[in-house]
Amino acid sequence: MREVRFIQAINEALLEEMKRDETVFIFGECVRGGTFPHTNGLFEKFGKDRVLDTSISENAIAGAAVGAALAGYRPIAELMFSDFFLIAGDEICNKAAKWRFTHGMKLKMPIVYMASTGGYIRSDSEHSQSVESLIMHTPGLRIAIPTTPYDAKGLLKTAIRDDDPVVYLYHKLLLTKKGEIPDEEYTIPFGLADVKKEGKDVTVVAVGFMVDLSLGVANKLQERGISVEVIDPRTLEPFDIDTIVTSVKKTKRVVIVDEDTLRCGVTGEIGMQIMEKAFDYLDAPIQRVAAANCPIPAGWYLEEHVLPQPPDIAAAILKVLGKDMDISDMKKEKVGFDAVKAFGDLGITKVKQN
Amino acid sequence: MDLTKEQKIRLYTNLVRVRKLDETMVKALLTGKISTFFHSGEGQEAVGVGACSFLREDDYLFPSHRGHAISKTLIKGLPARIILAEHYGRITGCCDGVSGFHTCDMKLGIPGMSGTLGGHFPLAVGMGLAAQLRGKKQVVMVIEGEGTYARGTFHESMIMAATWKLPNLFIVENNQIMGNTPVKIIHPKDDFADLGFGYGVPAKVVDGQDVFAVHKEVQTAIDRARADEGPSLIECKTYRIQPHAVGLPDTLLGRPRTQEEIEVWRKRDPIKLAQKRLLKEGVLTQVDIEKIDGGAANEMEEADRLAWADPMPTDPKEILKKALYAE
Amino acid sequence: MREIKFVQAIIEALEEEMTRDETVFIIGLNVQADPILTPVRLVEKFGTKRLREVPIAEPGILGCGVGAALAGYRPIVHSRFVDFFMPAADELFHKAAKWRYIHGGKVTIPVTFLAGIGGYLGGGGPEHSQCLEGYIMHTPGLKLAIPTTPYDLKGLLKTAIRDNNPTVVLYHRILVGAGTSGLVPEEEYTIPFGQADIKREGKDVTVVATGLMVFMTLQVADQLQEKGLDVEVLDPRTLEPLDIETILSSVKKTHRLVIVDEDTLRCSVGAEIGMQFMEKGFDYLDAPIKRVGAANSPIPGGFMECYALPQPQDIADAITEVLGIKESFQVKPLELLKPGRHMGERLGYGKKEN
Repeated sequence: MREVRFIQAINEALLEEMKRDETVFIFGECVRGGTFPHTNGLFEKFGKDRVLDTSISENAIAGAAVGAALAGYRPIAELMFSDFFLIAGDEICNKAAKWRFTHGMKLKMPIVYMASTGGYIRSDSEHSQSVESLIMHTPGLRIAIPTTPYDAKGLLKTAIRDDDPVVYLYHKLLLTKKGEIPDEEYTIPFGLADVKKEGKDVTVVAVGFMVDLSLGVANKLQERGISVEVIDPRTLEPFDIDTIVTSVKKTKRVVIVDEDTLRCGVTGEIGMQIMEKAFDYLDAPIQRVAAANCPIPAGWYLEEHVLPQPPDIAAAILKVLGKDMDISDMKKEKVGFDAVKAFGDLGITKVKQN
Repeated sequence: MDLTKEQKIRLYTNLVRVRKLDETMVKALLTGKISTFFHSGEGQEAVGVGACSFLREDDYLFPSHRGHAISKTLIKGLPARIILAEHYGRITGCCDGVSGFHTCDMKLGIPGMSGTLGGHFPLAVGMGLAAQLRGKKQVVMVIEGEGTYARGTFHESMIMAATWKLPNLFIVENNQIMGNTPVKIIHPKDDFADLGFGYGVPAKVVDGQDVFAVHKEVQTAIDRARADEGPSLIECKTYRIQPHAVGLPDTLLGRPRTQEEIEVWRKRDPIKLAQKRLLKEGVLTQVDIEKIDGGAANEMEEADRLAWADPMPTDPKEILKKALYAE
Repeated sequence: MREIKFVQAIIEALEEEMTRDETVFIIGLNVQADPILTPVRLVEKFGTKRLREVPIAEPGILGCGVGAALAGYRPIVHSRFVDFFMPAADELFHKAAKWRYIHGGKVTIPVTFLAGIGGYLGGGGPEHSQCLEGYIMHTPGLKLAIPTTPYDLKGLLKTAIRDNNPTVVLYHRILVGAGTSGLVPEEEYTIPFGQADIKREGKDVTVVATGLMVFMTLQVADQLQEKGLDVEVLDPRTLEPLDIETILSSVKKTHRLVIVDEDTLRCSVGAEIGMQFMEKGFDYLDAPIKRVGAANSPIPGGFMECYALPQPQDIADAITEVLGIKESFQVKPLELLKPGRHMGERLGYGKKEN
């Protein structure tokens, strides 16, 4: 085992898979070196035929991936911000997701659509969204949301080898996170949830960056005698409901946390699936924590009122437990994103301080 | 029509004001006063100033994010203090601090800015349609970076604007770099103006460093639009001096940008070019130039001081509640 | 009161509002030429500038609606196929939904998106059979109405046009195509958003149904009445705002809830209504909530369609299941789905009724 950053784990997975399979290529805006430097070094190694910079043409990028996949390639389309998926709504949700189904399932559609996701960076409402609900709702797309370097590498390699279109989302704030990965080759199968922390009093199902926030809250509550189990589904399609149901049978109480908008979102779907499969085990109504029903504001003071915060998660846990406790020590996530600081010491990119 | 002496001085003064505000914002970002980011438009001022200095107040303007649109919005009449206040998250900002950096003021014909680039084109067609219906000879100007002219939205919008002879102006602010990619490797031709040909839209290439040249071409197009003769496409060749966003690594295709290229363009700085011409024509003297410089510096310093001192909102939740739905 | 056809209700609402307010105009494919929706007299009355014909350029069309609304008009963007909103996902889900919000509420966007939804056309295929209410309900900033009777349609469409926010009104294509009719008052009226309508009273089980599913459920309910089961059918009419109170008070009485929606089940309307109910009315429930919706796949074209879309038997089985009845009661297929010769007929084209 060795310690790497999240962004290096992605970079390694890309390098290994492009080396292993000549039909894998990557294209998108600034993939030769751009906003998120996880693609750096690929151009030097694989050349201009397999690492292609494009113009700002999401429709064409997402659509060209469909064409290349149909022609037998394994394109990786890097869309930079998951918000831009909507610009190519037709290409991703109609073309990529449905083409194989429509044409008698004779075709393969091995595409990876990758992009950064999430807020807490004080960007704006069209660069801070989480799109997992839209993607999970769309039949035909797989979706992986890793939260550790280990998961990031293993899931990306599986995504590239998968014969269906996979949406692979990396949270902007996780890119510099460190974690251990094995020296040897490995992949992580889709549809396997990971219990990130064991506990017995309440089950928290958390998606993406919310896993980190939930673990923080769980550790603080542990000191107060509340034992929280944190489950990371890792992929939302396929979705591992069994691991969650097993946990709920033990704890009898559930909180679901996701960064996307609450209404008609992932949390509702997971909640209903739990209800359908484990209604009789529930001792309290399921609680959901997710973004408020409005776009993500930018600015100094507004974002924290919309995106889920550690105090919200703690309050939901206490509510399903029917407990009252002082949680004033749970701090809101007020990070902001400093690219220079974040990527400066990665060694992947040479950063020139301006 | 030739410019009067006053109009020439106004164009020059506007260039200097935009530069001073740009510098103020770079400083604000580097000192932590702006929490998001700033895409400096240093060296590209002549495009916005030349295009917007003589727009009517009721003309519509969709500016690109470059320079956070100050070379357009400041010129269209939005006070620097309001622009800065929005960046500082103050209640006095043009979007109550909700947007972080967008500018919006319907009274000045600034309907807002798109988060996704290239999102302006179809909206501009809609506003052009409205302007045509209204019959008051308003024009709708879109100034977008060259990268967005690849969007399907642009091509779809051109079809409509040309067919309906809408009073639209599409201005390409071609700074030659899209994010971290030189545009020449992702665009098939040298001139974006060529895109007008297929739609039968008159198109021109102008020197984007020359504020007077930009103004002349844009004014011709505005006259056409007001005469119901339809849209025009104008490409202004310019160059991005700063990185994509201030504070980000200044790289092209993953490698540091060469300083030589930047220096070549610095020599063609729009303010220097205008200065040279106006001194030669005897419109300005060295004393005038120093006076204009000082005046602009004072204006921005004052705006910055006032904006920073403006209050933060006392009840953000209420703003969010109100912002979502109209009554 | 007088009886009119569903499509007549659309035309009356449009004509009345365009007469009342000069800033109302319609833009969309075929709006001058649609043989069902646009009688010649409308074009003669309002002219081609207020019934604006367009090329196939969805982002242009929807963006145009947003732009004209910003400039003080009240455009109605029409598409017979809501599926075509996906190529303009950026314009609908970003520009229309968020523009006011990200600009601090400084502008209003009184645009109405009017579109046909749904399958059961027996040939629509995956990109002409969708219901997008899952996406739309999930997106903050958009209001959403799905009327099912001529009365509701006329009243809600008029309210939508007068609303100062971007509003989506979806009508089921089958309801137009099959020529369903209903009573509407002679005099002017509107229906406020956020008021559910009890389409059928009952005491054993509450079924919340949307769109065409209301018709289907009513027919199932009549057949189950013969078996002694008393079904209450609720039509929320608008999904945003959603009238959860009426649902709560109904289930307080019946203690059992089934939710039926035609969109893809996963991560959609059924889950959201179910979870909202659970959060507020968990203790009223005597059995887990059941959802009925389209399968997790695109809608197949041709005769395979019925395996993906919800059928009357699915609704009947869900009802008996929440009531704990082991037996399955056989019910008839939906009567509205009379076989047409081709899809055009099922869409209502080729008839001379209008």
